[in-house]
Amino acid sequence: MDRREFVGKSAVLGTTFWLLWNVPRPNTLRAAAGSTEPLVLSEEEWRTVEAITARIIPTDHDPGAVEANCVNFIDKALAHEDADLLPTYREGLPAMNRLAVERFGAAFAELEPDRQDQVLVAMESGQVSGWSPASVTSDEFFETVRSHTFIGFLADPKYGGNRDFAGWKVVGYPGPRHDLGGYTPAQMIGEERITAIWGAEV
Amino acid sequence: MARREDFDACVIGTGAGGGVLIDQLTAAGFRVVALQRGPHLRNKDFVDDDELKIALRDELFSPDQLETWRLDENSPTESGRFNSVAHCVGGTMVHWSAWSWRFRPDEFRVLSTEGPVEGASLADWPIDYEELEPYYERAEWDFGISGDADANPFGAPRRRGYPNPPHPDRTASLRFKEGARKLGYHPFPTPTAINSRPYGGRPGCIYGGACGGYGCPIGAKGTTFAISLPKAQRTGRLDLRPNSLAFEIAVGRDGRARGVRYIDQTSGEECEVSARHVFACGNAVGTPHLLLMSRSGSFPDGLANSSGLVGRNLMLHLFTAASFAFDGPGYSFTGIETHAAIDDLHASDPSRGFIRGGVIAEQSYSVKQPMMHALVGGSEYPGADRAWGASFKDYLRMFQNTASVLVVGEDLPMESNRVDVDPDVKDDYGLPVARMTHRQHPNDLAMSRWYSKRLLEIGDAGGALEKWVTLSFTEEDQPMKGGSHLHGTCRMGDDPGTSVLNRWCRSHDVPNLWVVDGSVFPTSGGYNPTLTILANAYRVADYFVTEAKKGAL
Repeated sequence: MDRREFVGKSAVLGTTFWLLWNVPRPNTLRAAAGSTEPLVLSEEEWRTVEAITARIIPTDHDPGAVEANCVNFIDKALAHEDADLLPTYREGLPAMNRLAVERFGAAFAELEPDRQDQVLVAMESGQVSGWSPASVTSDEFFETVRSHTFIGFLADPKYGGNRDFAGWKVVGYPGPRHDLGGYTPAQMIGEERITAIWGAEV
Repeated sequence: MARREDFDACVIGTGAGGGVLIDQLTAAGFRVVALQRGPHLRNKDFVDDDELKIALRDELFSPDQLETWRLDENSPTESGRFNSVAHCVGGTMVHWSAWSWRFRPDEFRVLSTEGPVEGASLADWPIDYEELEPYYERAEWDFGISGDADANPFGAPRRRGYPNPPHPDRTASLRFKEGARKLGYHPFPTPTAINSRPYGGRPGCIYGGACGGYGCPIGAKGTTFAISLPKAQRTGRLDLRPNSLAFEIAVGRDGRARGVRYIDQTSGEECEVSARHVFACGNAVGTPHLLLMSRSGSFPDGLANSSGLVGRNLMLHLFTAASFAFDGPGYSFTGIETHAAIDDLHASDPSRGFIRGGVIAEQSYSVKQPMMHALVGGSEYPGADRAWGASFKDYLRMFQNTASVLVVGEDLPMESNRVDVDPDVKDDYGLPVARMTHRQHPNDLAMSRWYSKRLLEIGDAGGALEKWVTLSFTEEDQPMKGGSHLHGTCRMGDDPGTSVLNRWCRSHDVPNLWVVDGSVFPTSGGYNPTLTILANAYRVADYFVTEAKKGAL
């Protein structure tokens, strides 16, 4: 699914938006609370997924996907709600590595960031020669990991990513507010500071 | 038991249309049974405003929703969840954004205002604004609209103001107003069915930010869930049945609706309930789907369908949105969904290259929470090389500084845009799902293009550093697949050959069958539809009560 289609699917002015992942079983929460050890990803898959997420949201003066532990979110989601997408990863990851070896002589996780980006750009374009899986195109696989990474970065930490509120700190989102009394009119126009749920001002 | 089963009316769906009917009928002494798909949630279920759970995964409001969509009869069919609805007591109103408009008088007579348009099935409503005006007022006062009734010089005429004052601004709405004023427009506080102060036994809003798409944990949002249904329950004349999925309106030998067959979702059992009148209020996708599933010997093409129009003329509105990035926080993550609007560009003007129009509002759909900001608002952001990587991370950091504006455009009805029963796909209950066939009329596309430019101009005038269109339907290859504004599929009219319902929203074919939801709209108007659904429900209820008490039904 490309982003234009993503937007099209999310175009309803309510909330139901595109759902590849629509098996509602709130098991990720339990899994994420229980462990940060891999549940479904192998050690190598974990390392490779983490390397992709590191390019999707790179670390700069602020934390990125690695610090937020996005790969842990993805692992827990693939074990439960997003189990339908596990085959996409199982086929996409080796195909991406074959592409990396073919172009640059090493597996994706071993490449320099610039070269990793080149691989990802090629995959995103959907126009990549030598992409082997028939069941998932390179751009579908890329878009799956891309959106998973952003969700892992920005979903509530209880889902296993957004470690130490890293993602919310980067964007300046103070956290959910319904149970904290909302905002005052003065806060809505910047005349009163807003304290985030981790205790600092945002 | 026999007494308990003696119902004057069975109402299917408890949202804006059904909820008001239930309230009005029970208040007038009638016994009502209400069937609602999905659970009876409580305020405490809405405390959790977790974006992944509610907005992305939709685990609370319609976890078992399944529909299909195709562009036209020759295009492939996709399965999924396309419409933003809530399957729970109170219906989709439970998570609505609560924008509350009266249609303008010309929006009830589009055919006579515009003349026929090729490829569109324009129609006049069988009622006019004057007839609906007192019911708009009733809806506004029952649902506690907050706003400034004198502030929109382009709004419909009215006899009475709003019950509550406007909500306070957030910085984003102040910047929107500033931009709009510079362009000579007349910004005003968006009227919303959200308490700006305690009203009707419900508290004032706390401005938690997660509003549109979320349930209100304190009941500040005006909904049939918080207002009409509790009131009806207190009469003792309402038998409210949650987890009851209607799949057929059963017909007797006399050609009248006998009752409703439904699945008890807790046990999986099929049940039937009888009533003297049946009101289908399941929204403009659910209602025609139910009527078309209700086939029988006397009604082989579906119930109430002698016109062949049940399910046709599906309208979804034509949304176009833009995002602005300012040099400081706009605080769109606070407040309610929309704080300010302009109506200057609403009136139809064929010299623009299209007919009809819509209202423009500052709003926070794609900017109020961080995942929507990243995945929806960011998808078309032109300031980054691509939607990931270092430059996109800079975009992520603009979350607080981002604001959004939207136009609610009146789309034209087309008979080929329709809801029917999917011949292949079944849901978890083994029922054939609703299938939408929908593409945009060329007028809609021209409208979207024109409004895109106007939205960007407002950002410029408001001092936006960056501005970009986040949502537009300018090409036929980017269709709207469903929506949250569902209307048109059982249009009302005076001629049984060209309409499904009469002016009282009563079937031309089946005298004790009524439809009261967005389905009845002959045209969609350039405003969010819910206040009009509410007002129309009060109107129909008044008629029903008067006639039934005379023994005329």
